[in-house]
Amino acid sequence: MSRLLSSALSLRRDPRMLKAPPYLSFACILIGLIWLLVLPLDEYSRRTYISENALLPGQVHTYFGGSEQHVFRAYKEEVAALSGKDTHEINNNIEEILKGFGVKVGRQSYTYGAAGGAHSGENVYGILQAPRGDATEAIVLVCPWKTIDGSENRVGVALSLTLARYFKRWSLWSKDIILLFPPEPKVGTQAWVDAYHDAHDPRHVSPLPLKSGALQGALAIDYPSDHHFSTLHIIYDGVNGQLPNLDLINAVGWIAGNQMGIPSFIQGQYDHQNSYQDRLRTIFRGMLSQGLGNVAGAHSSFIPYHVDAVTLQPWGMGHQDEMAMGRVIEGSFRSLNNLLEHLHQSFFFYLLMSRDRFVSIGTYLPSAMLLAANFTIMAIFLWVKSGQAPKSKGDNSKEKTTALDTSNTVERDMLLPAAIVAGSHALGMIPLFIFNRLPGDVLPHAFAIFSGISIVLPLIVSHLLTSFYKPTVQQSQLTKSFSLLVLGLSLSTLATLNFSLSFIIGLLATPLSFVQPTKSQPLRWAFAALLSLIAPPTIAYTAAMAAGADVGDLLRDASFGWNVLGVYTPVAIWGVWWPAWTVGTVNVLGFAAA
Amino acid sequence: MTFRGKAGIYAIAVLLRLVLFFAFPGLPDLLTGRVEISTPVTSFKRLEEGLFLYNHNVWPYDGGVYHQAPLLLPLFSLLPDSTSWPIFTPLLYILIDLLSADALVKIAASGEAGKSRLFTSPRRGKGSTGLVIAAAFLFNPLTIASCVGRTTSVFTNCAILYAIAKAVQGFSFHAMVALSFASYLSMYPVLLLPPLVLLAYDRRASQKTSALKFSALNVLVVAGCLSVLLGMSYALTGNSWEFLARTYGIQLTLTDLTPTVGLWWYFFIEMFDSFRSFFLALFWLHLASYVGGLSIRLRTQPLAALAVLLGIFSIFKPYPSISDASLFLGLFSLYTHLLPLMRYTYVASATLMYASFLGPAFYHLWIYAGSGNANFFYAITLVWSLGQSLLVSDLTFAVLRDEWEVERPEMVGKEAKQI
Repeated sequence: MSRLLSSALSLRRDPRMLKAPPYLSFACILIGLIWLLVLPLDEYSRRTYISENALLPGQVHTYFGGSEQHVFRAYKEEVAALSGKDTHEINNNIEEILKGFGVKVGRQSYTYGAAGGAHSGENVYGILQAPRGDATEAIVLVCPWKTIDGSENRVGVALSLTLARYFKRWSLWSKDIILLFPPEPKVGTQAWVDAYHDAHDPRHVSPLPLKSGALQGALAIDYPSDHHFSTLHIIYDGVNGQLPNLDLINAVGWIAGNQMGIPSFIQGQYDHQNSYQDRLRTIFRGMLSQGLGNVAGAHSSFIPYHVDAVTLQPWGMGHQDEMAMGRVIEGSFRSLNNLLEHLHQSFFFYLLMSRDRFVSIGTYLPSAMLLAANFTIMAIFLWVKSGQAPKSKGDNSKEKTTALDTSNTVERDMLLPAAIVAGSHALGMIPLFIFNRLPGDVLPHAFAIFSGISIVLPLIVSHLLTSFYKPTVQQSQLTKSFSLLVLGLSLSTLATLNFSLSFIIGLLATPLSFVQPTKSQPLRWAFAALLSLIAPPTIAYTAAMAAGADVGDLLRDASFGWNVLGVYTPVAIWGVWWPAWTVGTVNVLGFAAA
Repeated sequence: MTFRGKAGIYAIAVLLRLVLFFAFPGLPDLLTGRVEISTPVTSFKRLEEGLFLYNHNVWPYDGGVYHQAPLLLPLFSLLPDSTSWPIFTPLLYILIDLLSADALVKIAASGEAGKSRLFTSPRRGKGSTGLVIAAAFLFNPLTIASCVGRTTSVFTNCAILYAIAKAVQGFSFHAMVALSFASYLSMYPVLLLPPLVLLAYDRRASQKTSALKFSALNVLVVAGCLSVLLGMSYALTGNSWEFLARTYGIQLTLTDLTPTVGLWWYFFIEMFDSFRSFFLALFWLHLASYVGGLSIRLRTQPLAALAVLLGIFSIFKPYPSISDASLFLGLFSLYTHLLPLMRYTYVASATLMYASFLGPAFYHLWIYAGSGNANFFYAITLVWSLGQSLLVSDLTFAVLRDEWEVERPEMVGKEAKQI
């Protein structure tokens, strides 16, 4: 053992070891990327399965249909009559209907401020008490008055009311059923879930007059169109990229597909051919939406509270009617009703590549970790390199071997590098603060100004550095080392919380590992140009253009996410990525070359 | 070191802490609730609970929440009510931090780390000044977090540093009294007695007393002090010795299994009850066994023995927190002149940084998101302990290598082979 250890130690002294890290770090990036690309292959992904036995999806006969259709039509008329009315009037009517068949009703008003605008409204919800339960557990049916696209969720609301009336007649429920009708899918649900868990800010959100037990699961309906549909879109992304338990998605998909014969799809990929390209595209779409961390539907706000939830969205033209949709929900609720404990058996971390194939965290996490590791490897490499005495030309071979000895380590001047890195991270707080506080109509201008400053700032800092400090090669290496170390460890932490965000930032920041100050001035400016191509503001503009949106919308969404939903993506961008980029650019422009 | 520089550092440290206390009103309570900072035996929240009971003339240990020394209660009830006068508790904690830093400055000024009675390091000139050491202690995020999190272990840390500072200055009586206070508050510092007596003996003012007489006298001082303190506690808690079981008993038997950054809680959660007492004895024996060995091996440098022991305690004691790590790092910075001899400082500090980022993330996944479990957090506490033990063993290696190079000048700069 000791011999092994000492031979490992002598390997440390090998000069070849010091050449390897940049290649190693490049290999990490390459493997990390390839890793992600092979995930859709059959060898690396698995078929989904239901691991919670208590769910028993599709094991019960569903009875929704028949005469319920008449009830549904009647409610549809009532809902159509409310079209275009204000929230208060709508809620009055919904309350009246719910009370009509004996459901306790509560109302809650809320006002949030974000990006200078106010989001206010009123939720109405009813609690259908379980005949066989003791009000310790509940499942939620969410039906926002507006759909995700902003149209009126007419069929959805009518269907929910019909289902509520139908559920009320059954005696088999062992969990309370809560029917929630927020005026729109994002803010209303968030206010309600916050208040349900007493985590609301009483200045903006009023408390709930009625409560039930612990929420076990939630389904949201997003069903605006009146015509028959062909497939079911299951939306599952939660706030901050958290995902619901895979069992829930599988159970709903199974009930729809195998019991009702309605095929389902995810991530907007309705023409999924199960080919490699389609699978990869689905993964990418999932990662993008997970990385942005914003709400995907009315269900998203539930997930941070450990309440598994999905939104169901009928899609396309076909022969499935509202009753089939109702039976899917009935079947899912019967499954959730069977649960003996919170969903915990299956995965919380997964990437779905089609409705019935997934990769779990153990398989995909290494790709993001390898990307993060590349920064750490370079950081350690630069640290070791900065400790070596600069080689003089007259060295003969004997002296070279001792050059790596511990005693020959030169002292490191760490003050300036540490100050630069700490300073740039502290500066990151400024954009974080202003972009989450400014009113929405100023945001695009503020961002344009900030982008300009962000490009010029490294130039100014490096000019100041070169004219006042005459920084050494060692200081340049140390600056880069510290910055990459912080980047690497932030990204690997982030990878455990939000894999996609960490992967995306890691990928965009990879050039930072390799750019370094050079003697040749054109090359130096070429590096700077390359870096400004991957600068956070540039990426923001490009992303907004690619999505066909205005950068103002993007910023408003981000501000809304931060202020209302508690999305932490801006922290990762302004507190991790932007400082790393700034230090990288300063390092290229302001330091002497080796 | 200029007085202006020192005063400047202290002023900035005070200002920074005041800003953290008052500009972010939610921060102190947030930090107080973190398991990395507050342990069952040092938590400020639990202290408030005990204080409430004490002020309402209820036996403070009745709630089963408060496990700290009884004499903290009259101290804190002397302070004005914390809800109407929120300034005084922060001020007390900031003052304690400054006293600790001042003690470190005194230890550094004595030069004991580089030149003790029996050993003179050839590298002693390259160490940091007291100013840098004080700054490193005061601006260490771990120190700041434990100050703002108001854990009572800062009192213990201050008493330990004060004891060392007094021992270095040759006031063995003061040192022993301070150590008694530290032991009274947290129990484990009593294990520091042997190296501290050695340190005090090496630095004593008069050379007349024999070693045996000197140590017997000091042990007597500690015993006397502790009995006075315990006697006062006896009188304070209604003439009963029951408080011993509720304070030190909890540490000895680990009945509260709240997660900490240490290694004990998970181990004793998993353990079958029949093995519990055996492993408790074993864990304590393990902790205590370092004292004798290190005091003998590092006889020439008792301060190094103290530093290494504090590092070991912050890994292996029953309820460690980041505040113990900050104490170790404070003493570690006295040995910066040995940095060239250390081999894993970068790896160790990177490991510690990784652990301090990943720890809260995994705790979040376990407790709040519900998507992880206890193993996540425990794995990170293992990494944290690994980082610390790398640092401790590296410090020990460097201290020993420094001694060895004096004995064997021909080996300077040569590689040491493990035999």
